[in-house]
Amino acid sequence: MNGLRLRSLAVPGLLAAAILLLALAAPMLPLADPVRQDVARRLAGPSAAHLLGQDEYGRDVLSRILWGARVSLAVAFTATALAATLGTALGILGGYFRGVIELLTVRAAEIVLCFPPLLLALLVVTLMGPGTGTLIFSLAILFTPGFARVAYAETLSVRALDYVTAQQALGAPTRRILARTLLPNIAPPLIVQFSLTVASAMVLESGLSFLGLGVVPPSPSWGLMIRGARTTMEQAPLLLLWPCLALAGAVLVLNLLCDRLRDVLDPRGRSTGSPGFLRKLAALPPAPVESVPLLRVEGLTLQVKGRHGSVTLVRDAGFSVGRGETVAVVGESGSGKTLTVLAVMGLLPAAVVPVAGRILFTGRDGHVRDLLRLPEAQMRALRGRDLAMVFQDPSSSLNPLLRIGDQVAESLRAHGAKSSESVVPLLRQVGLPDPERQAQAYPHEVSGGQRQRAMIAAAIANHPRLLLADEPTTALDVTVQAQILSLLTDLKRAEGGMGMVFVTHNLAVVSDIADRVVVMYAGEVVEEGPVADVFAAPRHPYTAALLASVPEGGAERLAAIRGTVPQPLDMPAGCRFAPRCERAIEICREVAPALVEVSLVRRSRCVRWKELV
Amino acid sequence: MRAAQPLARAVGVTRAFYRRGRFLGRSVPVMALRGVDVEVQRAETVGVVGESGCGKSTLGRVMLGLLAPTEGQVLFDGEDLAQQTQAHLRTLRRRMQMVFQDPYGSLDPRRTVGAQIGDGIVIHRLAAGVEVAERVALLLRQVGLNPADAGRLPHEFSGGQRQRIAVARALATAPEFIVADEPVSALDVSIQAQVVNLLADLRADLGLALLFISHDLHVVRHLCDRLVVMYLGRVMEEGPASEIFAAPVHPYTRALLAATPSLRHRAAPVPLMGEVPSIASPPTGCVFRTRCPMAQPDCAETVPTLQTLKGTGDRRIACLRAEEIAT
Repeated sequence: MNGLRLRSLAVPGLLAAAILLLALAAPMLPLADPVRQDVARRLAGPSAAHLLGQDEYGRDVLSRILWGARVSLAVAFTATALAATLGTALGILGGYFRGVIELLTVRAAEIVLCFPPLLLALLVVTLMGPGTGTLIFSLAILFTPGFARVAYAETLSVRALDYVTAQQALGAPTRRILARTLLPNIAPPLIVQFSLTVASAMVLESGLSFLGLGVVPPSPSWGLMIRGARTTMEQAPLLLLWPCLALAGAVLVLNLLCDRLRDVLDPRGRSTGSPGFLRKLAALPPAPVESVPLLRVEGLTLQVKGRHGSVTLVRDAGFSVGRGETVAVVGESGSGKTLTVLAVMGLLPAAVVPVAGRILFTGRDGHVRDLLRLPEAQMRALRGRDLAMVFQDPSSSLNPLLRIGDQVAESLRAHGAKSSESVVPLLRQVGLPDPERQAQAYPHEVSGGQRQRAMIAAAIANHPRLLLADEPTTALDVTVQAQILSLLTDLKRAEGGMGMVFVTHNLAVVSDIADRVVVMYAGEVVEEGPVADVFAAPRHPYTAALLASVPEGGAERLAAIRGTVPQPLDMPAGCRFAPRCERAIEICREVAPALVEVSLVRRSRCVRWKELV
Repeated sequence: MRAAQPLARAVGVTRAFYRRGRFLGRSVPVMALRGVDVEVQRAETVGVVGESGCGKSTLGRVMLGLLAPTEGQVLFDGEDLAQQTQAHLRTLRRRMQMVFQDPYGSLDPRRTVGAQIGDGIVIHRLAAGVEVAERVALLLRQVGLNPADAGRLPHEFSGGQRQRIAVARALATAPEFIVADEPVSALDVSIQAQVVNLLADLRADLGLALLFISHDLHVVRHLCDRLVVMYLGRVMEEGPASEIFAAPVHPYTRALLAATPSLRHRAAPVPLMGEVPSIASPPTGCVFRTRCPMAQPDCAETVPTLQTLKGTGDRRIACLRAEEIAT
């Protein structure tokens, strides 16, 4: 836990400590006796002797607020702590063991929820007589099911995680799993629940005391003070204000403290990021537009603005796609391959901004546009018609509430088609068996491969000029992957001239489907060229190492690349691959190499490419 | 012939999960495993391959006693896991461990990696005090990490490093048998090779028996001595890995091999039609017949059992037409 995060606790912590200290120190402070009456000066306003004035019996309000804090805080905290301990224990046991134990713990606690809370409290108080002890008891009963339910729900989701199974596999005794592994990991929502419960316990304490069922007069409590002040609201409105302010202030400080505490306890730290509602046009200097065959990405640089300044995620990326050509973009996680494709679609996350480069695209009308500088309205007109995209996970990219036929029809209608007659032929074209029936099915009713076929049908509905596919087969089984790959190949043949950008991490798939390959590493294009040439004779050590690390053939030992991909915050100064490169020399670590032409059709970002054979 | 006493062994294991029906909670059994026999010898690596829903992960958990078989027996070093007391089972657990697929989900995000690696040592009282830290340091070095990393939290490591930590945790109790459930599937290609090499080294150095579950045939081929091919909860083909890769017999094994993309040759165009049927309502007879290019009427009626292929000794295939295909 670092100091920075602990510091975020300072303000709410100090405030809470101040409140607690004032309440604890009340007997020692030079305060008037909170129960001594002075009827002659009832409802007197603030004076030097009584800073906040005097109440309906002439008692000192400041003193009663501080003494009242003792009662209110003690009741709220004790009741909540009791409820939290009991409820969490019930919830964990019920959630971990399920079955009969669940019935005896969580479900039993839930019976309490059947009663309206105020009624239940009234019942207990009536049976046991008013007083602080009764109040704590009834509040604890009232709040136990809340904790039990939160703990139960969290336990159910955490117990299914691999690290809990790992503990079982280690042979850990059950109580150790519950205390060491489960409890710390379900704590954050319980902390939030705790802060909410303490707050509502204070309010309820006030309410019950106000009704005359809680703390017995003349002992001060905030609820009793509100109750007393209500009757004289017209003559002395300030009397109502002070206890209300005290209550609201204490509740707010507590909520803030618990929120911060939860963030501090999360080892991964709080996620930062500004909310983004609208895609803003990047503030880029204008650039000339020239004719291109289909798509040309040039010098694309993407940054994300963070707390420590701008971080470059993609630097100087460039490639082109000709008509009817399939270009594969390969790279490992963090290589920037998906961001590059999203930039072409104009679908970058709000936090990521392009800072340089051009994306030239020739539309169906023969007009060349720079997609990086195109206003959103015009971009929208292109999306789904000239440009289409297929995503990785077909189960999350289809709307679960719409029938498959309707989703395909939607993409047709978005671009002016009146009827949805062509839906069934489209579904047939992508090889869905029994397309009439499948059009009426919901996404969850068909298999993963069929969902991906439906996604592809929606993408090609308007005969796009360019299809962008982001890992379209990664989530699928091998035999289904083969089907989808051959479907894409067939579609490209049928849709004369459609270009395709295929993003993948699987090199074997690249050799199956693509004409040309773009290899990306740590946000840069390191090599580009025809697939057969690049795979036969790579001109960048990274490509070579990647190919060698694929477990094919009879090598006794795989050629692993040592080290890990560098993080965007911590990029090497020179060549980004240099720290992991077997062939790196002095200059590689100092100067970032440029992408150089190796031949008419190939480029490499390595100063030593000539030596690689 | 094979040695008499395998280290880990599943005999006719069936495992059902109960899924609630749509109304009134009537339970419907879903058979994740049906009559599966698997043996793992000491110091042997057995690969289990198959597509999603074939029961390979369930098999791994059953072999470790994390799930009880509905029918059949699971034996570890000759002892039936179901017959053991809790206390004895816990001592057996020391000798068998697991490595999970997702290196992000298998480590507790709130405890230091040193504490998690040391768990097994503390639980089984293999060491105490300073000696625990020394063992943890040794384990970290063994998987190629810096012993100084013990005090850090899992999120400070990359995916490949986390998988090494998970391997170190599994090794902490000096196990004889490890089930690795898709240990490299979530990793990048260049990192995959590091972890595969690590497993290969450990197997050689420590004489570990390994059940390696994967859908990636290339990795399995590289690492495994023997292979078990599964489909919809049943074993389709089993035998020495090199022989199966050289000459697959079962139509499903053949299709799986043909569908796997390769750098060296293009995948066969559409090797198999359709997709894996739902495990809740598997086809009658041979479960593969609905997608099998060689299915005949018999296949819908008879459930093929694993038969030793003539003239091989240790290749077993569950297909009515196995002999015909093999010749």
